[in-house]
Amino acid sequence: MMRVPFVNLGAQFEPLADQLTDTFLRVCRSGQFIMGEEVQRFEQGLASISGTKHVISVANGTDALVLALKVLGIGPGDEVVTAPNSFIASAGAIALVGADIRFADVGADYNLDPACVSAVITDKTKAIIPVHLTGNPADMDALATIAESKGIVLIEDAAQAIGAFYKGRPVGCLGRLACFSLHPLKNFHLMGDAGFISTNDDELATKLRQMRNHGLINRDESVAWGYNSRLDALQAALGNVKLPYFSVWTKRFKEIALAYRNGLQNFVNCPLQRTDDEAVYHNFVVQVNEREALMNALSERGIDTKIHYPIPLHLMRAAENLPYSEGDFPVAECQSKRIMSLPIYPELTDEQVQYVIDNIVSLVKELKLEKVS
Amino acid sequence: MANNFYPDQYDKTGVYPINHNYLPQQFADKDVMLERIAEVVRKGDFTLGSAVDKFEEDFAARNGGKYAIGVGSGTDALFLSLKALGIGTGDEVITTPFTFFATVGAIVTSGATPVFVDISSDHNIDAALIEAAITDKTKAIMPVHWAGIPCKMDKINDIAKRHGLKVIADACHAIQATYKGEKIAQWADISCFSMHPLKNLNVWGDGGVVATNSKSINDKLSLIRNHGLLDRDHCAEWAYNSRLDTIQAAVGQYLLDEKIDNITTRRQANAAYLDEKLSSISEITLPPRDAEKSSVYHLYMGKFQRRDELQAFLQQKGIDAKVHYPIPMHLQPAAQAMGHKVGDFPEAEHLANNCLSLPVHEFIEQDALDHMVEAIQEFYK
Repeated sequence: MMRVPFVNLGAQFEPLADQLTDTFLRVCRSGQFIMGEEVQRFEQGLASISGTKHVISVANGTDALVLALKVLGIGPGDEVVTAPNSFIASAGAIALVGADIRFADVGADYNLDPACVSAVITDKTKAIIPVHLTGNPADMDALATIAESKGIVLIEDAAQAIGAFYKGRPVGCLGRLACFSLHPLKNFHLMGDAGFISTNDDELATKLRQMRNHGLINRDESVAWGYNSRLDALQAALGNVKLPYFSVWTKRFKEIALAYRNGLQNFVNCPLQRTDDEAVYHNFVVQVNEREALMNALSERGIDTKIHYPIPLHLMRAAENLPYSEGDFPVAECQSKRIMSLPIYPELTDEQVQYVIDNIVSLVKELKLEKVS
Repeated sequence: MANNFYPDQYDKTGVYPINHNYLPQQFADKDVMLERIAEVVRKGDFTLGSAVDKFEEDFAARNGGKYAIGVGSGTDALFLSLKALGIGTGDEVITTPFTFFATVGAIVTSGATPVFVDISSDHNIDAALIEAAITDKTKAIMPVHWAGIPCKMDKINDIAKRHGLKVIADACHAIQATYKGEKIAQWADISCFSMHPLKNLNVWGDGGVVATNSKSINDKLSLIRNHGLLDRDHCAEWAYNSRLDTIQAAVGQYLLDEKIDNITTRRQANAAYLDEKLSSISEITLPPRDAEKSSVYHLYMGKFQRRDELQAFLQQKGIDAKVHYPIPMHLQPAAQAMGHKVGDFPEAEHLANNCLSLPVHEFIEQDALDHMVEAIQEFYK
């Protein structure tokens, strides 16, 4: 039986082992572990992906969101709109700065439905955080129309979407600020927690660089009490080794997604994709009516699948104090009961991909599963 | 914009043969350290996991506190501790103006207001002045064991107890320190440690640890450093991401297993030698060496007359003497809104104007110590 694990980080490490190890040693010998040249160079490389003037690396994707909200002065009394089907950090960051979380339902593309966003905007709304969930860009033009008319800021949550494009423009430059994660399970990842913020705004970039490093303007002076949220130089150096492979890996994510789509679209619900976008498929999510049956059967055949995510954020215990209950976001709730994510990473072989497809096709028939819409 | 404010610490030209920075020497052990990191990499185990659990357990055993929680940095250790105790907007936290930015930054970013109390001759918060600063809004005292010298914790705890305050110790400099024969983390509700690359027990990036005897504080911190997650899919409360990287825990574990006792005793022996030679020089004022406090000498700091001149003189001689730090917190641009002025905390200001730190780390050998002593003697001759 073939094994198809959901992640295989070692497979990416192996071919680069020598290069990564050499770099690791070089940084260790230099003793330059905090900030410095590797970090600056990595930020420049990331800026060419996000298409922005500035990239500010930080400790992780959650901090990226918290610092983005903070630098915009968003806090108590303000409302921020986001999607209820994301990872916790998207909503958590809003609560952490003291602002009020306002959820809006999503569409069939798993991203914020602009019509639903419109309906929850109030005088207190200061920002919208569209999440490019699974690496598929949200409908930024429609959201920008809503935001601009009311002076609301768009902050992209691009944690799952590095390298994705929306109408020919890279995610990362589509709002005032964009927040990325380079966590080990992301499409482009480092060997520990890591994240960054991209922006074209000079003033925000300067403030963010201070905020992530104690508000320091030099060794001895702080102009604003701040945080410590720096990307380790060691991680940045590993990132510099990996950056040249980024486009190859991204292409492979898309190839696998295309193979899944071609092989599976007649049997299970496959992700929508607007033709003018280029999603990067952090996850390849399908929907069927009897998800658990299919997941269990696949597992017996050596194929790991996961659910991103089984419990929408408004139904988490953390959301108990928010004015929401079951039924408030029917699309997100319905999807959460049917979605499952297939293994997808550049190191998957064509044989493994075909094995996943063949097994799903045969199981759909065997288990008499229905494609849902 | 240059992001790195410590370029000379990394100078590899050999200008400073007696350096504060000891990372290149530490890296002599690279093979064994890399083997430990390789174990983590092979497992693909980059966030939390058994390597972090083990490190936390061993760290707690060595520093006191039943529990230790690995976090992203020493700053986060302080910030999350305040959050874990529910301290925030409207609350006041008493601390010292003679500290690193992170102490005050953590209080302010938690939403609370720092209230400064001047220091005493040991360079730490003056316990005798704390009560006068307590108001209805005071929720906690945050003493800083500056340079690795423990604060007068019996007095501070006594005050805290009488006023119903929590004690969150900034122990970022004080790994393995003891006070009255007990491990340092036994002396506060929460103790916060840094493992920044220049700390006594360092990792190879940012890292921190919180230690506590309280199970409820441990449980809360374990939750809020990791998104409030109870398991993969259940979030109990909105919370932060501040984890000690697993590969960094492997570095820390190695130093804990193999090196920290030697690091501590070497620093103490170096300090004792410097004390012996420098205490007779009238232009130098060293902090009192109380028998009840076992300092770990993250810094060997004293007040030196004509400090700036001496620093330049020593640097010419290849001795990387440093100032930690020249501007106390209440006089920082960031503190402008607090309305402080020069003269508010005279002891802290006097120390800031006169302090100098001599390299004291475990790789400083006898000849380097003698070289430093001779240079200082020559300067004050």
